[in-house]
Amino acid sequence: MNLKVGIDFGTSNSGVAVYDGQHVRLLPVDPKNVLPEVIKTVLYITREYRCYLGQEAVEAYYSDNVNRQRRFVKQWAGEIDYHGADMHYVRDIFVYVDELKPGRLLQYLKTALRKESYLGTKIFEKFYTPGDLAKTYLTLLKQRAENVLGETIHAATLGRPVKFSESPEQDKKAEETLRLAAQEAGFKEVDFELEPIAAALYYEQSISKPQNVVIFDFGGGTLDIAVMRLGGNSRKVYASGGVDIAGSDFDRTIIEKRMLPHFGYGQVKHHPEIMEMIHAVPDWMALPELGTPINKNILEKAIQSRIAPARLKALEKLIYNDLAFTFYNRVEAAKIALSKEGATVISLEDKNIALWDLYTRHQFETDIQHYLADVEKVLLNTLAKSGLEPGHIDAVVKTGGSSNIPLFTEMLARIFGADKVKQSSAFSSVVAGLAIKAGG
Amino acid sequence: MSFTNRIDEWMKEVEERPESAITIVRLVLKRLRELTQSSEELLAENIALENGSRVEEYQKRIAHLEYQLDMLKQRFGMDSSTMADLPQSESSLLNLLVYNAQGRIFRVELDSDAKQIGHISGDMITDKEPPRLLTVSSNEKLLLLFTSGRVETYDALDIPTIQPGSTWTWDQAALLNEPHAGELLACVVPFSHLPLSDFVLQISRRGFAKKTLTSISESIINNHFIGKGTMDKSDQPFDLTLARKNDRALLVTYEGKVTAFDVEKLTYSTEERIKLSAMDYVIGSFIQPADASLLCVTQTGKVIHREFENIETARSSASKGQMLISNARLDQGVRFMGAVAVREKDRVAILDAAGKINIHDIETMTGSGVVEAEGLILSIGLIPSMGFAPTAQPGKRAS
Repeated sequence: MNLKVGIDFGTSNSGVAVYDGQHVRLLPVDPKNVLPEVIKTVLYITREYRCYLGQEAVEAYYSDNVNRQRRFVKQWAGEIDYHGADMHYVRDIFVYVDELKPGRLLQYLKTALRKESYLGTKIFEKFYTPGDLAKTYLTLLKQRAENVLGETIHAATLGRPVKFSESPEQDKKAEETLRLAAQEAGFKEVDFELEPIAAALYYEQSISKPQNVVIFDFGGGTLDIAVMRLGGNSRKVYASGGVDIAGSDFDRTIIEKRMLPHFGYGQVKHHPEIMEMIHAVPDWMALPELGTPINKNILEKAIQSRIAPARLKALEKLIYNDLAFTFYNRVEAAKIALSKEGATVISLEDKNIALWDLYTRHQFETDIQHYLADVEKVLLNTLAKSGLEPGHIDAVVKTGGSSNIPLFTEMLARIFGADKVKQSSAFSSVVAGLAIKAGG
Repeated sequence: MSFTNRIDEWMKEVEERPESAITIVRLVLKRLRELTQSSEELLAENIALENGSRVEEYQKRIAHLEYQLDMLKQRFGMDSSTMADLPQSESSLLNLLVYNAQGRIFRVELDSDAKQIGHISGDMITDKEPPRLLTVSSNEKLLLLFTSGRVETYDALDIPTIQPGSTWTWDQAALLNEPHAGELLACVVPFSHLPLSDFVLQISRRGFAKKTLTSISESIINNHFIGKGTMDKSDQPFDLTLARKNDRALLVTYEGKVTAFDVEKLTYSTEERIKLSAMDYVIGSFIQPADASLLCVTQTGKVIHREFENIETARSSASKGQMLISNARLDQGVRFMGAVAVREKDRVAILDAAGKINIHDIETMTGSGVVEAEGLILSIGLIPSMGFAPTAQPGKRAS
């Protein structure tokens, strides 16, 4: 039997589902997670090239890395040719490598696909392109799904954002990279469906008469919108649109606006190397690369000179105790908490770090206000492209983790009316719709 | 952003959603409690810094660490010139020590295949004490504990070796430190694992235990005195062992009782760990190793083998212990002469009343349930299969 599944390869979370013609079955591919049907899109690769994904990756990372020993060795990294007016010489380039580093944790694998500037990363001796990372993740995810189902998976319908990138070339390239990665992971047939349309297919199961629907799929990496006619035999996509604004941007904004002072921002001046380190804190790709002996030396000298010693000690610990992943998780958890609570605390405690910040929904909404205008613009543009007015819309279906943020729910209610805004399953409606597409 | 501005922002949240006020107050109060606690700790630390007690504490710690480093250097046969060259440290041999209460000590290099170690002629029981057997690495640091509470330290290499397989007299044995008038040699203890241990645990013949922090071992060694670790005048020190926080210690007695207790739960004063009858006394005490079991030998060579999991940890200091010899056998005069913690591949050296020292495999002993000896058994000593931490092996050079 040629088994075909739906796979939501999300920026923050992923999932696999199958459809038997009547029911969607979400597969519990991460038994260690609170929701076993949702698996974190994180990959941990050890020095021996053992790979883990989901919660297992997080646990392996924590047990191997946090507060571990480091030993830097100088390694030849390449050479640079200098060409002057009357001279030419070659200079060796060395980098400091932590030879005790037990593994690398990689997240936002999907974002890596759509970033033109990101060519890949070297993990110990091997270079991984974004495609290699996606392939590694999908291979393990396929194995997990096959273990649950007890049979080989032949093909998959993968979700994709409406726009991987604003650039059509990069958008096409990202999809082709993902297709190739899935094929190399062992899926003999691979096709794609736009994520908001997949969510619509799932919503369609619950309606009894045709409706004009706006799908508002707001996840970790992108916002995807589709305006559709659903129900009966009249399924039609009027328009689709998207923008690369989503949960990870809000996390970054919180760090930039609220967290950087805890690491010396505003107190350290005239020290460009340190300022560069502080500014790298919001960048999940750059932060792990800062852990060099030279940077440690710079920070320790500054601390000894009593330049913001407590803040810079916290920065040093954040970089050198591998606390970055914990830190980003705390920020994300605070953001999620503010969808329900009026206030929460972002904290990070470790030796020499005592970060504590009370963060309110008002502060959060002020911080991300500029995104609201962009999101509203994309929504109204997509609606305009569809030729429909807000009054013609019967339902607005929210899905994805960021769709729970009250600021955006209020925006949808303001434009379409609160009674039309409906919450679909935040983490499973896309994968369920992909399964319906795959099984249809 | 100033703190005032931040509070203004919190107030705006409350203006927009009054229900947030409770959450904010709750979070701030929680933080306040944490900060109060932290502030108290900092004040206490400040006081300690101001009155110099913290400085003294660190000075003591440094002195202790230096002492531990010296011990480790000796353990691995290093001096400052060889510190940088760890892999080439002096190799060690496994040695059997046989010593009596008068301070006479034989040292024999063990061979992995040897079964008959030697024969001691002359009196075997001196001052009512049989000789005792101890296996150590040749690089080992030894601590001699006397019944007065006096201690002396030596290297195992200070004791000349004696030819195995021959007949020895006590006159040929080394006398590293002659017992003073009225005192006896209570035990010889391998001591180089001191830096890796948390406590020194003294056990008396009448089942009393005394725990001392290894951090004060330097002053003990310098003063040549640790104390008797006894409460009664008729009691005397039996053994001394190094222990760590999570260790479980066991005592085995002449009349077949066994008790176990957690080292960490011991107080720092001398306390009774087992209630003994008037004629009973401790014949074996040790820290329970992982994956080991208890092996006891009676004077007639009967072997009793028990898993440690069957031995309960005594909660009370007045434990009567578990009986390993039935009352009927006790009435017949059966008594334990030695008890050790063994693993399957270990061996045991046995000294009998004829003065013969033979080596037996644990597997054979536990399989047959008896051990052959020419006379009554006086003493036993464990020969571990894996040698001594870190690497020594019986009869083989370990680097």
